[in-house]
Amino acid sequence: MKAHRPSLTALALALAVAAPPLALAQTPTVRDTSLGGFLEQLSDSTDRYFEISAAPVDTAGLDTVLADTATLPPRRLKLGLAPTFGFSRVDGSTPGLSASLGVTPPEPKHTGWGKLQGGIAHANGPDVMFGNARYTNRLWLARQPFDLDLWGGRKTAHLDRDDEGLLTLLRAFLRGSDWTQYHRDEGFEGSVTHRQGWWRVNASYRDLLQSPLHTTATWNLADRDLERPGNLAAMRGRTHELEYAAAAHWPRLPLHTEIDCQTSSRRLGSDFEYRRLHAAAGLDLTLGRFASLVPQLSYGRLTGDLLPQASFYLGGGGTLRSLHRDECGGSRLALAKLDLIGAQDLLALLRIPHPAALPLQGALFLASGATWGLDPYRGEVVPGGDWPDAHEWLSEAGASLLYNSALFPTLHCSYAWPIGPDAREGRWSVSFTRPLDLLGAEPERDE
Amino acid sequence: MAAPITCLTALTLAAAALAGSGAPPASPARSSGPTLAAEDTMYTEVPPVLVSAPRVTLDEILGRVARGERRRDSLMTDQSYLATARLVRNADSKRPAELLLETVSRVYKKRPDLVRTQVLRDYEAHAEKKKNVKVEVSFRERAGMDERVVNFAFRPEARGRYRYRILGRELVGGHLIYRIAFEPRSLLDASDPRGVVWIDTNDFVIVHQELIFDRSPAAPLIKGVNRVVIERQNVDGYWVLKRVLLRAETTIPLPEIGRSFDFSMRLDDYAINRGLPDSLFARQAEVKR
Repeated sequence: MKAHRPSLTALALALAVAAPPLALAQTPTVRDTSLGGFLEQLSDSTDRYFEISAAPVDTAGLDTVLADTATLPPRRLKLGLAPTFGFSRVDGSTPGLSASLGVTPPEPKHTGWGKLQGGIAHANGPDVMFGNARYTNRLWLARQPFDLDLWGGRKTAHLDRDDEGLLTLLRAFLRGSDWTQYHRDEGFEGSVTHRQGWWRVNASYRDLLQSPLHTTATWNLADRDLERPGNLAAMRGRTHELEYAAAAHWPRLPLHTEIDCQTSSRRLGSDFEYRRLHAAAGLDLTLGRFASLVPQLSYGRLTGDLLPQASFYLGGGGTLRSLHRDECGGSRLALAKLDLIGAQDLLALLRIPHPAALPLQGALFLASGATWGLDPYRGEVVPGGDWPDAHEWLSEAGASLLYNSALFPTLHCSYAWPIGPDAREGRWSVSFTRPLDLLGAEPERDE
Repeated sequence: MAAPITCLTALTLAAAALAGSGAPPASPARSSGPTLAAEDTMYTEVPPVLVSAPRVTLDEILGRVARGERRRDSLMTDQSYLATARLVRNADSKRPAELLLETVSRVYKKRPDLVRTQVLRDYEAHAEKKKNVKVEVSFRERAGMDERVVNFAFRPEARGRYRYRILGRELVGGHLIYRIAFEPRSLLDASDPRGVVWIDTNDFVIVHQELIFDRSPAAPLIKGVNRVVIERQNVDGYWVLKRVLLRAETTIPLPEIGRSFDFSMRLDDYAINRGLPDSLFARQAEVKR
């Protein structure tokens, strides 16, 4: 006997017949199942959250044009003036004035008029006037951006080509604890940089008269003795230097690399003949959402005339924190660092009440580095070929508190313990650095 | 995924019945309602058919989104819209929210990089009062229609910088919507947000996006960004930006703004591919008032 079972067809028909009056009755509350309805539901939730910020615009009274980019003058000048102040043991207090002249930025991907900056200052220690002019512009050639930077004038420069900026001034002015070595540069520098997504190339030329400087100011606000009373003498002469650099953040890899070659040759009219090569690499490895592991390597080699102003230096926040800035130097450099940087707010994790403006990250670090070849301080050759002798390596471990800010680079407050048989002591240090600090700034992401 | 064909048949018939329900009845004389009859003489049983196919991989989806976004951009040669930028203070506090600034502009864009902006309203609350501190919101319209604010994490060059994860799929009116989460691979940059996008797989374009900042992108002034929503709308078959809304809290009360504020950008009244002439973008002599 065949069992009778209601077919789905019949059910469907029944539903179909019943549906119209039901649908009509519920029209105001029926869910719109189209894509537009789905997006409107998302929008409604956004409207409820943002309230008047999300409200439609009142179009009444929008019939008058108040300003039009097509009728605005194509270029408007912007003039800026600001006082400046510098301090170092070679220049003493250096008050000055800086001026800038800018033009309204051009339309995107168009070459504008650029920016002209200038400054004058008086170094009270040696009683010398400084003056300089700088022109920067982004040139668009074949729809590609090229950043032009031209500088001319006289300035006090660092023998170590890495600059710590404001902290150098503060150390010298407040406590006399500046260990930076200085020399004078007079002449011209120009560079062109091309950034393209994940890579960057740069070519520079320098024509500078370089001269040594000596200490002229021994005072500081704390009235302490200078920690580093002398200043390493640079070799006097005119350098004509060409520089080529390339940096990349490799696609789909957490790998950053950089290579930088500088060449000074008598064939270019230079008083010096040297080749300086520096290469660095770093990885940015993420450990879940909690921490980043950042190993970095750096290697430098100077051949030819082994000038103090072209040598490599170790010490300070960017290299070994258990050493003072530029405490060691040589014509060769090798450095390896490993940072473990926590991503969370350390004080919040420890349930320590703190202001919201003070999210501190914790970090641990290990580092080992050496300089060898000709030591610019002692004038002796530290043995080693391509790599230093084993006993030349200086190692350290430590911990840092990091403060990230939109106003300045990451502030590191660190304590470093020396590792190994040498007689160094643990040391506190404060520095402004980026996490991948052995490499230059990250290439811009988008144009 | 198995789907019994019998169900489909029933649904088809139901749909057919629904579609036909608006037609006039065959016999106007019979006004007492439809007669329901059970048809049981023609019974057919169709075995269920299991349809299986490899699911599209996340990598393939990301590739298609990149192509979909590029195609979306390439379909437009010119556009004009009404852009409204607003700054609202006390957005998330117990005090009532107040519109502080509103700028309404008519924006014209044309390939490859022409743009013209006409400001139609420049409202400022308390403008009559002389204040030492003045809050200004200024924005420059970018040339181009690629809407990087929407697809910055899904551009081919960004693939290496983010991790992606499928959160879910939803069938909405014949459109399969993928919800995909993305987060930066590197934790070193606090200003890089993570987020979730809703992708319409008919066109493989992003139709909705929410961004999350785990840390303040601008400490110490900004305590945190509570919510960022980016919406698109379909205008004449083109997916275009509709709104960008952001709510942030400040660490200390800022003059004029307070402790929290909303910034929003709303784009309405689109006209797309209307053949804007190049002369519209030509620089004109300054109008002397």
